[in-house]
Amino acid sequence: MEDIGKDILVRASQGDMRAFEDVYKGSSSFIYNVAFRIVNNREDALEVSQEVFMIIYNKLKTFRFESSFKTWAYRITTNTSINYAKKYSRVKTVPFEESLGEGAVLSEAQSRMEQEDQSQLVESLLGELNPDQRACVVLRDIQGLSYEEIARVLNININTVRSRLKRSRERLLSVKKSPAWADGQGGVVL
Amino acid sequence: MKKCDIFKDLILTDYIDGELDKNNKASIESHLFECDECRAFLKEVKDKAGLPFQKVLRQPVPSELWDAIKQNIEQEIPVTAPLDVFIDKLKGLFVFPRLVPIFASLVLMLLVGTVTWNTMQIRQTQDKDQAEYLVSLLSPTSILAPSGNNDPATQIEHYFL
Repeated sequence: MEDIGKDILVRASQGDMRAFEDVYKGSSSFIYNVAFRIVNNREDALEVSQEVFMIIYNKLKTFRFESSFKTWAYRITTNTSINYAKKYSRVKTVPFEESLGEGAVLSEAQSRMEQEDQSQLVESLLGELNPDQRACVVLRDIQGLSYEEIARVLNININTVRSRLKRSRERLLSVKKSPAWADGQGGVVL
Repeated sequence: MKKCDIFKDLILTDYIDGELDKNNKASIESHLFECDECRAFLKEVKDKAGLPFQKVLRQPVPSELWDAIKQNIEQEIPVTAPLDVFIDKLKGLFVFPRLVPIFASLVLMLLVGTVTWNTMQIRQTQDKDQAEYLVSLLSPTSILAPSGNNDPATQIEHYFL
């Protein structure tokens, strides 16, 4: 996320649309991408991002600069996305076996990882997790936040962050370890 | 719990995320050096649960997002603006919103203290007045002294005296 100056945030909080557009330009990419990975499809990510920016627009006047704008925006984005994912739970993901293709093998998956577009594979992996686990994985593995930062953003205990990440990774390993996967049929054991 | 299981738990979380302190990190690394099973597990975790996410590309933001937000804001402004302005002005009266409960408690305490003090003062005055009145009733001068010419009892007393 680009650095957004305090003066821009103050002007935006007073209803200055140009300043708010600057806030949007500086934060839309990370907000859309976090929302996209948590709700795990484009249409819902668009809807959630709209909701997030409306919350930011309406609540910016109450923002007291006690935490960074980034942490605040992360919190709004993850909470809105998790709530949305739990409420509608219409995750339209490609099943893991489909994302790898017929007769896929691990080496093929690894070679795909090196391709430019990893989106489908990541969508299918994230689709295996529940919204809370997905939020932790997105914040840690895609956004690169520390455990402490994740705990602050999600307003949960650091040990909860740890246990959610552990369960997520165990889940991802178990999906890939399924017998059908091992014999090359690409099946997923749930 | 097996020693390897403990290390595997750490590998799944703190170790691959770089959250371990120097001592614990060194302890895991010395174990990894001698344990094939844990080394293979680390590789599996990195390859299957870490790498795909680390290489993910950012999605471009759809161009219609800003237009939709702008439209929402324009629709919202006329409806909520007057109320928002009023609430903002109200909030503006309190520079430090977190201190409001403390100020409110102080004002309440001051108010209760003042009322209690006034009540005590009034009671003291009343008690003093009552005491003076009783003393005046019991004093010999008040008993013997004529209270007025129109009092028949006093007139009779004066006649016999």
